Amino acid sequence: MYFSSFQDLLTMDGHGVYVWLAVIVSLVVLAWLVVAPLLSRRILLKDIARDILRERARQSTPTDNHGEV
Amino acid sequence: MAQSTNSGYSAWLKRDLLLAYRRRGEAASPLIFFVMVSTLIPLVLTPDPARLAMVAAGLIWIMALLATLLSVEALFASDYQDGSLEQLLISPQLLPMPLLGKITAHWLTTGLPLTLASPLLGLMLSLPLSGYLPMLWSLALGTACFSLTGAVGAALTVSLRKGGLLLSLLVMPLYMPVIIFGTATISYAIDGVNWLPPLAILGALFAASVALCPLAVAGALRITSVH
Amino acid sequence: MSWQWFHRLGSPRWFYQTSTRWLPLLALIAAAVLITGLVWGLAVAPEDAKQGNSFRIIYIHVPASFLALAGYYIMAIAGAVGLIWKIKLSYMVMKSAAPIGAALTFIALFTGAIWGKPTWGTYWVWDARITSMLILLFLYLGVMALQYAYHSVDAASKAGAILALVGTVNIPIIYKSVDWWYTLHQPATIKLTSAPSMHMDMFLPLLVMIIGFYLFYAAALILHTRSEILRRERKTAWVRELVESKAEIY
Repeated sequence: MYFSSFQDLLTMDGHGVYVWLAVIVSLVVLAWLVVAPLLSRRILLKDIARDILRERARQSTPTDNHGEV
Repeated sequence: MAQSTNSGYSAWLKRDLLLAYRRRGEAASPLIFFVMVSTLIPLVLTPDPARLAMVAAGLIWIMALLATLLSVEALFASDYQDGSLEQLLISPQLLPMPLLGKITAHWLTTGLPLTLASPLLGLMLSLPLSGYLPMLWSLALGTACFSLTGAVGAALTVSLRKGGLLLSLLVMPLYMPVIIFGTATISYAIDGVNWLPPLAILGALFAASVALCPLAVAGALRITSVH
Repeated sequence: MSWQWFHRLGSPRWFYQTSTRWLPLLALIAAAVLITGLVWGLAVAPEDAKQGNSFRIIYIHVPASFLALAGYYIMAIAGAVGLIWKIKLSYMVMKSAAPIGAALTFIALFTGAIWGKPTWGTYWVWDARITSMLILLFLYLGVMALQYAYHSVDAASKAGAILALVGTVNIPIIYKSVDWWYTLHQPATIKLTSAPSMHMDMFLPLLVMIIGFYLFYAAALILHTRSEILRRERKTAWVRELVESKAEIY
């Protein structure tokens, strides 16, 4: 460890604001790169599942509703 | 063989020049834009000739860029709409040559008039006397590069309804080298340095664009304008 | 020699199923290397004699810049493979590489700007490398915008590939010309310490961070490609089976 205390690590002789801002913003962007595809994947999977259910419903209805429609 | 490829070039060059002549008003608008914006510059910056002279070269180049961008969007638009582009794509001609003809016509109707009008702008923006000749040469070569590279962007966006803004987004970064060496040619001349080296690099950029851009345009049109 | 592996590699289904198995491991290694490098660089490495602690931004700035540039070539190569061999998976990789590259370029620009404040006294200077990075961001945005502009997936892929290739030809020219422009107008600035002349204690964590960023890039690219595969193959039988088998989980 280069710094003598945790406080020193945070302040970095006055440069801490710059260093930590750069680190945090970068990490947020990197995290977004991971979260975004996971989110879109989840939405897609739900979407496809709904499609399948709808198609199944359509396949089973024609024989049932034959007399009504 | 050589004759047949050339005939595709000159036929489309003549055709587009004729079309431009018929739509004279439309064809003149980039030029009017070029001159009009330059009247705004003293109003927003300063009427002081000494300070205008410092920025004149760069401003003329930026206005030339914008004027070309405005006009290059229409390069394939009407051909796409009336179906003659599709006809060209299925014809047995070697595709890059007719396209180069169209691009040449575009340069002759926008880049060349801009170049010829630039001394007037130089006068209005009090460009130093030593800058005029390099300005003419560099603008002639540079606007040709603009037309060639812009054609790639126009081909990529021809089938999109609002392609114009996207086109400038795609093409503008590719214009940077031309802008850098174009303004450098003029500022070298004003500073009394030998201005041929940056002009020679512009020439190299032009040669590379002539060789490569028609191929890229042909490839792009085959993708974007066939349904 | 059998070309079977090549064709298998081009199958989205094979890619998806194989990556399901390997991606968690890759992501774990990437995260471990990144955390190691970050802790090492931020807390353990000594400070720079001239710039003090602000130089620690290098541990993010340089790896991000590396991958921002490499990412454009990866995107363009993927596009070229798609155009030449008509491999659809390749287009999906190309589309996925664009936002990742743009994000890394943004990180490089942002960290560079913040680094500039304590070093040059201003957030933005028209330095050759910063300017080139900005142009690179524009090139990425162009490819992304073109992808979103087309309704037809096929046209969007091919148009994007052509634009990426045109950009690839232009990048060296842009970099050289911006470099030349900068030497023409160079103001008196502090030259940053370049990597090879760095002290070992500072260089090793940088190396770890570069490796970590490469691993992260690979994992992120696979992750983005996977969701792109699902989007484009949603009508196929194997995706349906996949969804049916885990419909309750997601």
